[in-house]
Amino acid sequence: MLLEARGIVKAFGAFHAVAGADLLLEESELIGLIGPNGAGKSTFFNCLSGDARPTAGTIRFRGTEVTALPPAAHARLGLARTFQVPIVFDTMTVRENVMVGAFLRHPHRRAAAAKADEVLAFTGLAEQANLPATALGTPGRKRLEIARALATEPVLLLLDEALAGLPSAEVEAAIDLVRRIHESGVTLIVVEHIMEVIHRLTRRVLVFHQGRVIAEGTPAEVTADPAVITAYLGRRAHK
Amino acid sequence: MRLSRAWPAALLLVLVASPFFSFNPFYQRVAALVALAAISASAWNVIGGYAGQVSFGHSVYFGVGAYAALLVFTKLGLPPIAGAPLGILASLAISVIAGLPTFRLHGHYFSMATFAIAALAELLIINWNFAGGAIGMMGPATARSPADLLFRSALPYYAIFLAVLAVLLWLTHRMQRSRMGFYLRAIGAGERAAQSLGVPIRRYKLYALLLSGAFTALAGSLYAVMIGFIDPDSGFGVLISVNMVVMAALGGAGTLFGPLVGAVILVPLSEASNAILGGGSSGAAYVAYGVIIMLIARFCPGGLAEWWRVLTRTRRRRAA
Ligand SMILES: Nc1ncnc2c1ncn2[C@@H]1O[C@H](COP(=O)(O)OP(=O)(O)OP(=O)(O)O)[C@@H](O)[C@H]1O
Ligand SMILES: [Mg+2]
Repeated sequence: MLLEARGIVKAFGAFHAVAGADLLLEESELIGLIGPNGAGKSTFFNCLSGDARPTAGTIRFRGTEVTALPPAAHARLGLARTFQVPIVFDTMTVRENVMVGAFLRHPHRRAAAAKADEVLAFTGLAEQANLPATALGTPGRKRLEIARALATEPVLLLLDEALAGLPSAEVEAAIDLVRRIHESGVTLIVVEHIMEVIHRLTRRVLVFHQGRVIAEGTPAEVTADPAVITAYLGRRAHK
Repeated sequence: MRLSRAWPAALLLVLVASPFFSFNPFYQRVAALVALAAISASAWNVIGGYAGQVSFGHSVYFGVGAYAALLVFTKLGLPPIAGAPLGILASLAISVIAGLPTFRLHGHYFSMATFAIAALAELLIINWNFAGGAIGMMGPATARSPADLLFRSALPYYAIFLAVLAVLLWLTHRMQRSRMGFYLRAIGAGERAAQSLGVPIRRYKLYALLLSGAFTALAGSLYAVMIGFIDPDSGFGVLISVNMVVMAALGGAGTLFGPLVGAVILVPLSEASNAILGGGSSGAAYVAYGVIIMLIARFCPGGLAEWWRVLTRTRRRRAA
């Protein structure tokens, strides 16, 4: 088992953004995580990556209990993530952004630069390498976040709406990129709103609603699930 | 194009060497003070510029270094410079004790906490009679040995300060190109993202503060050695921290030469205004700094370094 999250709760005051969620993930899977706005997907990611300390529950990653460890420790163990709203280092160039990630496994500048260039080529950012990161638009920033995460040479990559808001031409390229990352041996969890993307990328989907996993299965199975339809459309629509 | 890159270096060389060929004591004194201010501003730059943790409390390091120098003289009869290692040791302890809890704070809260610590430190020193209380302490009146580093001319001080500055800038340059430099800049640009990429942010902030504080303390010791007098205001005063912040911000925080450029511009200005208005014009200094900070924030948040970059870029493009 690569990742084992049991009974995860994340409370903000009296409100439970994640309310007892479980996730078991085998190495080299690619699973989708869907759910309506505010379902708790990003908060769940924050718990998995050490960004938020769960109120309850335990998380094991590659056999190590990581529940209370800081994000940097998760990264060292091989867990990388992107953010729903990209946080790129605006004071750096595109290559320097990626080098920050590469330094995790390559302490020397030259090796880190070489790793960064390799990842930039893989993610299709080679031509923008020397531009300031501020020169990138939203698609570029999302791609840069993926590149930066890949430069840490992760075992597991969490993508939080990496394709949302991309123009359709970019979506194709992004799907292709996610597939190539998966083929390179990285396990992935992708949060995505666009069902079509989920259909094309994965055979296993978890549906989040009000902080819980309410359904699990193939994309076709979950979209046919009455509980999922209710969650998305509300009770009245289902009646 | 080659020329446009060479002339600033040539200009800098002439500027650095000029005090040795000048017989004007005022000019030599100002040069020494510029070099000294450049040391502390460049030291501040490591944590305040590269790592983006804007400290308003660096006067504590400066004061500790300055007081260490004159304490070893007045209490133990040692040459003041012997206090420098002690000041540095004390600065390292302060970094660990004050740094670790304040690093939890972000942005303005961090700045305010460091400011509060510095204000508290000044109060403590004023009431610490062993170290001269509100009156302060004097250095040796006449040189008992060469180790007292008592010179009539400012030139030897200038040479010493320049050597320390060179070491600090060389270290900063090395750091800037290394993993540590990247990590500090990443912390400054986005802590959350930096952490997610495996940057242990508190550890690297501490490294930066240790380096920054040590050189600021050394600057304080050197100041006390040259001036031969220290009191709570000239060691721990608010203006000392503000000086470092404004110089670095004016020249370009987070750039190698930015703080030096800021010192080259601001120190002569303040020395000239002191000479004209007479000393003790710190009220005017506050106003001037306020205006400078507002101008930087409004017109070039990246400091003069940003203008320089834009200027050279357009010129290069035109040449191409
Ligand atoms: N720091 C916080 N403090 C208080 N409430 C929060 C905090 N972070 C998230 N929430 C709340 O928790 C709930 C879950 O938010 P989360 O961002 O995890 O949802 P999501 O499934 O990612 O939604 P979306 O699809 O819109 O990204 C929301 O109601 C949100 O307002
Ligand atoms: Mg979300």
